[in-house]
Amino acid sequence: MSALPLDGLKVLDLAWVVAGPVIGRMLADFGATVVRVESSQRVDTTRVMGPFPGGRIDIQQSGLFENCNAGKLGMTLDLTSAGGQQVARDLARWADVVVESFSPGQMERWGLSYDVLAEANPGLVMLSTSLMGQTGPFASFAGYGNIGAAMAGFQQLVGWPGELPIGPYGPYTDYVGPRCAIVALLAALDHRRRTGEGCHLDVSQAEAGMQFLAPQIADHSVTGRVASHVGNRDPQMAPHGVFPCRARWHSGSVSGGPLADDAEPVAGWVAIVARSDSEWQTLAALIGGEDLAADPRFATLDARKANEDALEALVAAWTENRGVDEIVESLQWLGVPAHVAAASRDLVEDPQIVERGHFVRLAHPMMGTSVVEGPRYRLSDTPGGPRACGPTTGRDNERVLREILGYRDDEVTALQEAGVLR
Amino acid sequence: MPQATGFLSPYRVVDLTDHRGLLAGHLLAKLGADVIQVEPPTGSSARRVAPLDETAPEHSRSMYWSAYAACKRGVTCDLDSARGQALLRRLVEKADFLIESETPGVMAARGLDHRSLRELNPALIHVSITPFGSTGPKAGWADSELVMWASAGPLLQAQDGDRPPLRISAPQAYLHAAGDAAGGALVAHFARVRSGLGQHVDISVQQSVAQATLSSILSAAVGHENFSLRPEPKSRTRKTLDLSGSGARTRRSKWPVRDGLVELHLALGPAAGRFTNNLFKWMLEEGACDEQTASWDWVSLPARIEADEVTEDDLERAREMVARFLAPRTKAELAEIAMKRKVLLAPVTTIEDLAASAHHAQRGFLQTVDDPVGRQVRLPGAFAMNVPNGFVALTPAPLPGQHDDEVWGGLLGIPADELASLRDQGVIR
Repeated sequence: MSALPLDGLKVLDLAWVVAGPVIGRMLADFGATVVRVESSQRVDTTRVMGPFPGGRIDIQQSGLFENCNAGKLGMTLDLTSAGGQQVARDLARWADVVVESFSPGQMERWGLSYDVLAEANPGLVMLSTSLMGQTGPFASFAGYGNIGAAMAGFQQLVGWPGELPIGPYGPYTDYVGPRCAIVALLAALDHRRRTGEGCHLDVSQAEAGMQFLAPQIADHSVTGRVASHVGNRDPQMAPHGVFPCRARWHSGSVSGGPLADDAEPVAGWVAIVARSDSEWQTLAALIGGEDLAADPRFATLDARKANEDALEALVAAWTENRGVDEIVESLQWLGVPAHVAAASRDLVEDPQIVERGHFVRLAHPMMGTSVVEGPRYRLSDTPGGPRACGPTTGRDNERVLREILGYRDDEVTALQEAGVLR
Repeated sequence: MPQATGFLSPYRVVDLTDHRGLLAGHLLAKLGADVIQVEPPTGSSARRVAPLDETAPEHSRSMYWSAYAACKRGVTCDLDSARGQALLRRLVEKADFLIESETPGVMAARGLDHRSLRELNPALIHVSITPFGSTGPKAGWADSELVMWASAGPLLQAQDGDRPPLRISAPQAYLHAAGDAAGGALVAHFARVRSGLGQHVDISVQQSVAQATLSSILSAAVGHENFSLRPEPKSRTRKTLDLSGSGARTRRSKWPVRDGLVELHLALGPAAGRFTNNLFKWMLEEGACDEQTASWDWVSLPARIEADEVTEDDLERAREMVARFLAPRTKAELAEIAMKRKVLLAPVTTIEDLAASAHHAQRGFLQTVDDPVGRQVRLPGAFAMNVPNGFVALTPAPLPGQHDDEVWGGLLGIPADELASLRDQGVIR
């Protein structure tokens, strides 16, 4: 096999939670040596979020932490201590890349600003990721994922028309931020390769999120329209909705164990879209025969939009007592887009996801097996992927200090005794 | 000062994508790559994607196109004709990257599959964005944005009560894949730096979107029954307490204020209860709540609720006080004070608010370009700041064939009479 694309790249990963660490996870997948630094005193939030094997909270067994940190070396360091800060500076001198996601200003207070680190390592590429960026009146705005989604404009884009919006589920800008950050970081690394110049990238998760709202931002500037929540409808397609059906699963069957006698069938949801008049006629013929396919109330997009409540009621009446597999297979056979609104178990058993190797199993000292998602991109000649599970807390402290930094035994012992390695 | 050339200025990208991949080349173009968007002579189907400016000329109505074809050059080429395919092969010889979002099999039918193109240009990185990936049992399945959002997990999570789960009203699924396409292209570039060889980068929309689920899709594989990111832990007394601080119980975290909504979660418990204490301290100072309610410690409140010292009615009264306190104030004044007082409150920002934001103005984030049909179009700028030489100034999305002469004639050196013949045959516009 060819060498991996990022073999030899050295990364100090001071980021935490999700938006920062998934950047280092990708770099590790494609060959980089990534040293993830965390604190055992202020435990990474992802270690206490699930999913966990058997549902038992254990900071060494979090599926979310594993997914964000597989393949990294892990060390614990008290960055509030002078000794910890010195170790971090030594690691930054070793590194090609530093990624951090603390509140703006925190790195400087610890003596770890880009200026300080780059003085010792002039080619350093540092990436700081924060909610609103390192500068500006809202730079110190902080909070959980719902706050980021609110600041970037997503909270008011999910909901039923005329009602309070519900917002997207989860910390939405945490999914967009890394995608933009990775592109900027790799471009900066190529620039460094050609010129020797380092830089400090200031990635705002809100600004990254807004890249995904660019059409709506442009539209507002030209037409004055302000995008809002419209349920699941779309101005250019109808039907365009999510309809009730019978799911494949019964309650309590997520892990695939035997079903209890009284297990209830789970309500399922199926997304169905007709992209054109002809797709609607195909769909209509299936669910209502030739009469429905010829019904003038639904013959054109304009007509279907004008009668959308009735249209959706007809589709829902057809789906609600059918199993989701029957619905999806018959529609896809006819070329009409349809898919189950997938739960975890649907994905784990999705033949496409299985064939593509999306879920990767890795040996883990406590779980036996850790399951994470595979690499973000499938490269034909240099396929990457996680090479090891995520580190248990402080697993690689000695290895990093001795093998990477070349610390002597007495130096390591002194750090241990001073309580710096925690 | 010389104009910024961008981190990716040495590279050329041939971009064949429609709405399913348009963003990928746009991200690379912002970083200075020469991205040549190829569309059919009749115009890209992405020029018809909403939101639409109905007053504009036919090919300039789509604000989706205006946003994501910006910063690119635009040429036309009929890839379903033999002469068009030959033309594209010549362009590919001069390209570092090719990005396309065709249905699996379409490029091969045109003789433009990765293997054929690689023979022409062994260093070419060929990125394909397909709904389910270029291989596998669903590779040929019909797709749409909502259906892809459903297929990968995030749709089901956004459910409000027992009504159907909801998508984001600004379509997102293909954007996640396009973002990954840009990242994957650059990872393959680092492999090329070593080997001199290009390769195929295979992006599946389904798999890209799956990564927008905060790993909850792992739960069945991990064996976590009934896992939910929506924390509703049942106390011993069967009361429902939300200790997360993340505002996961979504509707209850939206509050009407004078000019819209704010996002505020009344968090309980050790993770975030202290932020709610900060809110009530502020309310007390403003005379908006009584001493007794202000004295609650929201960190330890769960225990008091379980002991029935604080009842549901008490909590509802506290919520009403918060509602009355917030209602007459504006989003901007609340955001300002929340930041100073460490209260987990944020304005529910609208697209209109973004345009007027002092924060984004100070960072120079939103930029305005004059487009070829006389409009001023506001667009997001760089996706990383503090690197003035990394990103180039925005340019407007091209008209169909705007750069045909420049690229086919200038870059490829095709003589004028041959271009005229290509035009006559409808191969280019």
